[in-house]
Amino acid sequence: MVDIPLKSFMRKQKDKPIDMLQGTLDLLILRTLLFGPIHGHAIAKSIERTSQDVLRVDHGSLYPALQRLERRGLITAEWGTSENNRRARYYRLTTAGRKQLMTETGKWERLTEAIARILSPDREEA
Amino acid sequence: MRWWSELKYVVKKLNRRRAERELQEEIDAHLEMETQEKIADGLSREEARYAAHRALGSVALATEDSRAWWGFGRLEELSQDLRYGARMLMKRPGFTLVAVLTLGLGIGANTAIFSLVNTVLLRPLPIAQPEQVVTLNFGVPGRGVFPLIGYPEYTDYRDRNQALAGLAAMGMAPVGLSNNGINERIWGLHVTGNYFSLLGVGAALGRVIAPEDDLTPGGHPVVMLSYQCWQQRFGADPQIIGRSLLIGGRNYTVIGITPPEFRGTELASSPELWFPMMMKPGLEVGRGPLKGRTSPVSTIGRLKEGVSWAQAESALNLIAAQLGREYPQADKGQIVVLTQPGLFGAAMRGAVLRFTAVAMGVVVLVLLLACTNLVNMLLARASERHREIAIRLAIGAGRSRVLRQLLTESVLLALLGSALGLALAYGAVALAARFKPVFFGFTAIELQMDWRVLVFTLALSLLTGVLFGLLPGLQATRPDLIPALKNESTLGGYRRSRLRNLLVVAQMSLSLVLLLCAGLVLRGLLRAQQIDPGFNPRQAVEVSFDPGLQQYDRERGREFQRQALERVRSLPGLQATALTAHAPLTSGESGGRGIFIQGDEPKAATQAPIALTTSISTDYFSTMETRLLQGRDFTAQDDAQSPPVAIVNEAFARRFWPGENPLGKRFNFTTGKWIEIVGVAQNGKYSSLAEQPKPFVYLPLAQNYESKVTLIARGAGDPNLLTAAIRNEIHGLDGNLPLYDARTMVEHMDLPLFPARAAATALGGFGALALLLAAVGVFGVMSHAVTQRTREIGVRIALGAGSKEIFKLIVGQGALLVGTGVGIGLGGAVLGTRLLAKLLFGVSALDPLTFVGVTALLTATAFLACYLPARRATKVDPMVVLRQE
Repeated sequence: MVDIPLKSFMRKQKDKPIDMLQGTLDLLILRTLLFGPIHGHAIAKSIERTSQDVLRVDHGSLYPALQRLERRGLITAEWGTSENNRRARYYRLTTAGRKQLMTETGKWERLTEAIARILSPDREEA
Repeated sequence: MRWWSELKYVVKKLNRRRAERELQEEIDAHLEMETQEKIADGLSREEARYAAHRALGSVALATEDSRAWWGFGRLEELSQDLRYGARMLMKRPGFTLVAVLTLGLGIGANTAIFSLVNTVLLRPLPIAQPEQVVTLNFGVPGRGVFPLIGYPEYTDYRDRNQALAGLAAMGMAPVGLSNNGINERIWGLHVTGNYFSLLGVGAALGRVIAPEDDLTPGGHPVVMLSYQCWQQRFGADPQIIGRSLLIGGRNYTVIGITPPEFRGTELASSPELWFPMMMKPGLEVGRGPLKGRTSPVSTIGRLKEGVSWAQAESALNLIAAQLGREYPQADKGQIVVLTQPGLFGAAMRGAVLRFTAVAMGVVVLVLLLACTNLVNMLLARASERHREIAIRLAIGAGRSRVLRQLLTESVLLALLGSALGLALAYGAVALAARFKPVFFGFTAIELQMDWRVLVFTLALSLLTGVLFGLLPGLQATRPDLIPALKNESTLGGYRRSRLRNLLVVAQMSLSLVLLLCAGLVLRGLLRAQQIDPGFNPRQAVEVSFDPGLQQYDRERGREFQRQALERVRSLPGLQATALTAHAPLTSGESGGRGIFIQGDEPKAATQAPIALTTSISTDYFSTMETRLLQGRDFTAQDDAQSPPVAIVNEAFARRFWPGENPLGKRFNFTTGKWIEIVGVAQNGKYSSLAEQPKPFVYLPLAQNYESKVTLIARGAGDPNLLTAAIRNEIHGLDGNLPLYDARTMVEHMDLPLFPARAAATALGGFGALALLLAAVGVFGVMSHAVTQRTREIGVRIALGAGSKEIFKLIVGQGALLVGTGVGIGLGGAVLGTRLLAKLLFGVSALDPLTFVGVTALLTATAFLACYLPARRATKVDPMVVLRQE
């Protein structure tokens, strides 16, 4: 009796926020790499700066996301030297990654437009 | 291409140490950059470092989650499950051992029987495109079809049909091979010139028999040797081609060796020698006065490309109708039925199918029993692992994930069991192969464990693994979490035991059915050994020989038989010696002959009553110790010149002249001279120990010559010395004549008892196995019940129940299960044992002694299995139990 709500509650906690974040963060990383290969720190900084510090990217989400994208063949990584002469891993967008970025961006735009229409219908009229 | 880049990634990350180091270095670099930035903002190094850590979150979590992407996903999960399963199995060696043994026996029995099915029914013949090859069966509707036809008719079908790319004929016959002073009777196959090209079989050495070797009767003394014959009899002599061999008194030139895997197209008869058809003695080439009824051959054809089985059959039946019009006497009403080659046509194929179906049924039953036990054991274990599983579910493992892990464990068990089963089956098959030569002289059935058997066993073990794992798994992953975590017993346990009780009842009834079958067959065997076969098999030996194998004609053959008998009779220490054409209870007994009685009104030959016959020398009855009830034995005066006489058995006399004196009465075999009855012998068993008395006729060998005879000698001495002496005497007459089937008459009696012995061994073995499994099942259920009811028992004892009451309580619960199982089993047995009638030798299929005995045995065993848990229950200490609360 008791186990059903307990289990489904746990599933909510575990799955839902991560699902949201995963797709979004992947999209943002791909977008950031569009301007050329950069390392992990620069990716995080760029996202934070561009979003005017609304979005924060910590290690716990950045590095698994990079592994995931690399595994899916959307980005490649190689060692290079950073601006202040440190060894750093530079990530580069692959052709497949570029294609993925296009389709995902399109999807994202349609999604946000749709949500925006629902949340504030008055703006549409204006 | 995505899978390719993904594979590259996974392979790169296989070097875990390097991947870890790189990730660590990367994260460190990131941290350092962040720190540098903070320092630039004016913080001290230490503060900056701390701030960076705070901003970027847990490094441990980052590495942990990153690692998750390096693996093989599901595959990795599987290997995890396998390792965990293996650990669990090793932790409980007793459980694992019993489970693997149980499964091994169940799967082993299935594998052994399947390897038989595979050999007989599934494995294609080693010929080109075997699916196109068919055997032709001939017959009259309603009277059965046989794969035999006269050679002249074969040529008609061969030349007239348009549906077959070719039609070949063959005929099996024993031949005498003389090689290095050893003479043996071995099996040869006469084949038409198109046989090898039709089958697409080449020669391993030399060349095959070709159409030009098969043109004129008796004109082509060439022979091919089977690979095995070449290896065993001629030491694989590479110079054998072109050598001359003495076969049946004639020289044949060896032209080739057949490939090792080719043993002819019939499983039950593999020849050692191949001859051209034209070398077959007495082959009737054209439609002569014998109307195509002699020289029967079997035929094998290859369908033309694009012609279906049914089209070919109807085309051949058109020819059959045509032949019926042209030769109404021989071929009227004949039909053609096509079958697959390998099992001697339609009749034997049906019997083999029935036999294998029954055998497969029995072993599947045994496997089901084994599975039932495992379900039981796993259910018991699942309630022990209740807490472990509840915790797994509580901390977030999905039900399917836990179920997958439990199934991995049971499949692992099944795989271990099937490994043991394969080993057991291999042993059983090897054992069976050792028995084979005694009983089937020329069979090609070689049980082999090929890939089909392996695939079957693997599939079976996966299936059983899922079968016995799923139910306990589903039960185990559906606990009410809260009570399980609080370590309370639950009502769920009650539902579980109901299921287990049902399984035990099923087991009891299944094993009772098997044991009853075994018991009945065993009783039948004991009975069969007491059946009077109508002669005394003790202190007698037999040797068979056939002067026809050395081309003796009727006159010389008769003289040879007479001299052989005379020489053996002159040996010291023999009480009596005689010849008979057909020793009783031999396989391949002569067919019956139609009987007309003098003075009866004439009727059609096909309507005549049938009696079995044999031809015998003088002294046959005293040699066999068969009583002559009336009249006289044959004497030397009953020869070809004197009037024909016969001795009949009681059944014959009673059948035709009930209440009258049969002596002096006359009969014939639907044609020919009248034969006068001069004696009446006691009834005997002629083709099977189980048969009812059958009419039987003895004729003097001197008046009814048969070339193949068995010499029977009665004497008290060492049977080996006796046969050696007999062999010596006969070889003194002709050193090249093969002697065969030399054995004591007691050994001879093994043959009719073989099917019952095999059945009793198999059923008894499976029955004992089933009993053991059922006992383990009852024991498991009762022990578990006692564990579950410990608290209740404690309370009862505290309230004053004596150990006698407690004992009764537990045994009563067991008795209910056993009683229900026995009841259902008895019902099943009443329906099932009827199938065994042929093996029971007159014991009723509902023999009360067997039923009572076996039921008592089963009940006693079940009681024993209840006894130990019940004893344990009486030892429950109420104080300990009640304090546990």
